[in-house]
Parts: sequence; C-alpha cells; structure tokens
Amino acid sequence: MVTDIKEKLPDLIENAAVAVLYLDHNGSILFCNKKAESVAGVNRVEIIGKNWLAVLFKGASSIMIKEMFKAVMEDSMGYKRAKDFQCHMSSAEGSSRLISWSINPIFNKNNQTTEGCILFGHDITEIEEREASLKNIDDSLKNIFSIIKEYTLYVINLDAKITYFGMGGEAMLGWSKSDIIFKHASILHDTNDAASNLDFILQQARLFGKYETETKLVAKNKEVIPVVLTVNHFLDPTGKLTGYVFIAKDMTEKKKLENQIFQAEKLVALGQLSAGMAHEINNPLFVISGRLGMLKNEKLSQKVKDNLALIEGQTDRIRKLVDRILQFSRKSTPVLEEINVNQAIDNVLPLVHYNKLPQAKIEIKKSFEENMPQIKGDLHQLQEVFLNILINAYQSMPTGGTINIVTSNFKNLYAQIQITDMGMGIPEDSLKDIFMPFFSTKSDGTGLGLSICQNIIKNHNGIIELESQINKGSTFTIKLPFI
Amino acid sequence: MLYKILIVDDEAPVRDLFEDLLKEEDCHTVACASGEEALELIKKDNFDVVLLDIKLPGMSGLEALKHIRDLNNSLPVVMITGFGYDDDLIARSKQFSCSGYIGKNMPVAQIIVTLKQFIKNAKEKGCAQ
Repeated sequence: MVTDIKEKLPDLIENAAVAVLYLDHNGSILFCNKKAESVAGVNRVEIIGKNWLAVLFKGASSIMIKEMFKAVMEDSMGYKRAKDFQCHMSSAEGSSRLISWSINPIFNKNNQTTEGCILFGHDITEIEEREASLKNIDDSLKNIFSIIKEYTLYVINLDAKITYFGMGGEAMLGWSKSDIIFKHASILHDTNDAASNLDFILQQARLFGKYETETKLVAKNKEVIPVVLTVNHFLDPTGKLTGYVFIAKDMTEKKKLENQIFQAEKLVALGQLSAGMAHEINNPLFVISGRLGMLKNEKLSQKVKDNLALIEGQTDRIRKLVDRILQFSRKSTPVLEEINVNQAIDNVLPLVHYNKLPQAKIEIKKSFEENMPQIKGDLHQLQEVFLNILINAYQSMPTGGTINIVTSNFKNLYAQIQITDMGMGIPEDSLKDIFMPFFSTKSDGTGLGLSICQNIIKNHNGIIELESQINKGSTFTIKLPFI
Repeated sequence: MLYKILIVDDEAPVRDLFEDLLKEEDCHTVACASGEEALELIKKDNFDVVLLDIKLPGMSGLEALKHIRDLNNSLPVVMITGFGYDDDLIARSKQFSCSGYIGKNMPVAQIIVTLKQFIKNAKEKGCAQ
C-alpha cells in the first residue's frame, strides 16, 4: 500500500489542482507542476534551474517575497514555520490570477538546516472576487441604512445582548453603537409599557417566528419614542436560532399627525354638537325669559318680585353661556377693514373696567410701536380677543399688579401684540390645553374665551401663543400679518 | 289694532309667547307651525308682517321665505332663529330679501323693541328692505 502511494505520488503532484514549486536553498527552481506553469504563465523547460524570484515575481512585491523566503531558509531557530503571501500572476490564458502561496521549509535529515522549500499556490481569484462583491454589498447597505432615519435595526443574541445596532438607530434614539453593543436589550425597552416588555416580545417571537407590535423604545435622553416593532428569528447558515432581529419604525410624526387630526375632528364634532344644543336650549330659554318679562309687569308682592329677579338673573346667565357656545361653534368669516392695532387696544381698555373685576389696583403700562402699519381684520372680533386676554390678565392678579401691553412691527411682516401680566400663571400641564374649548382653570369660567380667541386669530391668518410661569405671570403673544 | 302679524314657529310655547307679547303691544296675531301653512295663510289674508322661524320641519324657513317672495315681494318678513347671529344664515336670509333678522338669544324686551322697529321701518318703506 505504501509502495503504491510512493509510486503514484509524482503523478498526483504533477496533476494536483494546487500549484507546486520545489526550490533549493538558493531559490533555484528544481520542480514545477502543471498548475504552477498555468497560473504563472510559464513553460517549465524555460524556468527549471533558474532563480524563482527572477522568473516568476517581478516588481515591487518581489522584495517582500525575497525577505520572506530568506526568513524561512534561515530559520536556524528550528521553528519550522511556513510563511504565506498573496500575489497576482499573469496566467497562461492571459488573465490575472490571485494566488495564495505558502512557503514550507524542507529540512535535512538531522532536522537542523533547511535544504530548500516546497511552495503550494492556491488560486483564490474567485474567492477574492466574491468577498470583494460581498464587501461592496455590505458598504452599499451601510450607505442605504445611513439614509434611513426613521428605522432602527438591532440584533440580539439568545442572552438578549445587543450584537448589532444600526440603520437610523443613532438619529432616532440617540444611542451610538459603542453605547449599546453587548448591553442587555432591556436598555431600549420601556419598562412602564406592557407592550414593550422584552420577555413577552421574545416569547411571542420564539413561538410564532415573527412578532409585530406597537410599542415604545427608550432613547438615550430617556425620551420614549413610539414605534412599530417587528421581531424576526435570526438564524445562522445552518438554520439554527442564534438570536432575534428587531426592526423599529419611528411613529412620532405619524402619532403627532393622528393627534392633530383627532383634535381637529373633535373640535368639528364639538362645534356641531354645541350649535345643535344651543339652538335647542335657546327656544325654551326664550319662552322662559319672555314669560318672566311679562310677569314683571303684574302687581306682585316684593317676595315674588325678588324671586323673579333671581330667576331672571340665572336665566340671563344661561342665555349668555349659550351665546358663547354659539359664538364658538360658528364659522364666522371676519369682516375685513383697515385697522390700527394700537387704536383697537385703546378702544377696549375702558371696557375692561365694566367687567366686574377685582377691586385691586391694577396698572396698565403701554409701549406702542409708533409707526405701526395698518392690518386688515375684523375690528369687533379682534377687540373681543384683546378684551378677553385683558380680562384674564386682570383676573389673574386678585391682589393687584401691572399689565404690560407692547406692540411692535416685525420687519413689516406682522404686527406683534404682547400682553403680560404678573399674575398667578398657568400650570405647565394645563398650558397645552389652554386653547381647548371648555377647558378652564377658573372655577366660574366657561372655558370658551380663549378657544374663541384662537379661532378669531386663526381666521385672520395670525398666531396666538401663551407663555406662562407659576406665580410669575403669563404673556400672550399675538401675531397678525400686514397685508 | 296696530299691525296684523303672522307668526310661524313649530314650537307652540314660542308661538304662544310671541302672540301674548305682541297682543300686549296691541297687535293682531295669527300663528301657524309650518312654512306650508304660512304660505296658505298669506295667499288668503293680508298681513303687515311675518315672523318666520328658520328651523322648521319640512319646508325650512329660508325655503318658505323664497316662496313668500314669489307670492309677494313687498311683504315684510322678519327671520327668527335659535341659532343666534349666524353670518351664513343672515347672508342667506338677505339673499331672499328678508326685512330683518332676530336671534332668540337676545333679551326678550330687546326683541320686542327691535321687532317693532323692523315693522315700522318696513311699513314706512312699504316694501322689503
């Protein structure tokens, strides 16, 4: 058997799919197989006995190879180590092939010095090309992923440690790769949200292979981001489960839009409901107050008269409330005329005093823009807005104080009116609702005043904003375009 | 007898109130509950003024006003409504030459004063405004 192999060996080497070169101690070529001839594009008759570096490797790489060969040959330390290098060679077919060579020292019988070496050369051209194209795909994917900002992709292993974190993850959640790689995935999941419970998500994903849920992820700044999360099995090439892939789509903008639409629809529905209700209340109310009015002309005892006066007062209160509701629900288009904003504010200042306000001393300081261009607007509607805000300012200062009214011309684009009080202010959590109909911080308010103000300013293509600090005061800013 | 007034409102308590209030003002009143009835009455009788509710079952107040104008272009018609002062409703009422517009949300005493003023104006001009 052994003799068999020894006999066949030269043949096997000659026809091997690997290039084989046998060199002596000086690098002269002693043997070269068929594959070596083909990858180097040489004829063995021409190269046998010649120095391998001179006939096979030219150019800059030959210096490196020469050093390597020298190191292998002079391996007096007896490490018997092979050395590898890669180089391009012009093949017999004329194409450039990438060959991975290993230089293997051959020692003399006492294993002390090197007699020469045998080189094996693998053609790795195709493998390299495949790897290069894979790298290209990888780079392209990275580029594509970097553009996608509203998605975060992360992979966790079976211990729930994050092994990959990419796509828009950094933009969306603020976490960088280094913050998060190999951390437990619970760092991303909101513990206050049942739908974000990692154990539950993983259990579902394990059972069903894929799991999708609306949930929240935690950003680095602790902000909670609404997302749609899709979890898939992450399998190795043999199909074994090695972890889970999470794709999270940022829903912040969508939620915001949905909320705006919801609010708008709510307002429309509320408007329709209010108008219908107000109409139904107005008819019986009209009859009640009409009959009351007729009774007043009769001869009645003082007691009855007093009671009737009370009833009339309360009926009047309902009438005014219904009026307010109708005003809110109505889409009244402003009757446009040229208005001097300063003049409009001056007009309403005396009216504020008629509105049963606290007796405390309140000072009004005005700082009006002298060269204020006129705006186009509905004088009565705008005066109602100013009056409403001024009354609010008065009511916010039961112990007195100052109201500052500042008007200015912003770059000839719009008139800005700021009304600042030094009152009790509005709690931060109420600020977002302050313009909502029926929202009031006052015990006796209808909650319609500011929503009517906002409607009026919107109909004038303007903006009304409120800034407020508890116990420091509030500033209403109104911007009305000049046109 | 000062004026002869037709009151059109589907709600009996409102009709009755108008009748009582206007009788106190020495007016003669006739009342009905729908636009259709009102048109029949206007065809048969002469009125100085019509008080016409906007929200009526069947033919609406605005439709009734349009038909009244086909019959009689000079009859003063005052629109009344529980919707208050609605720009859109006022504009549509004006389109069919109503003589006036009164919201039921106005204090009653004021309504009577306004109503009398409308009637007076309409009579003086002798036609719809």
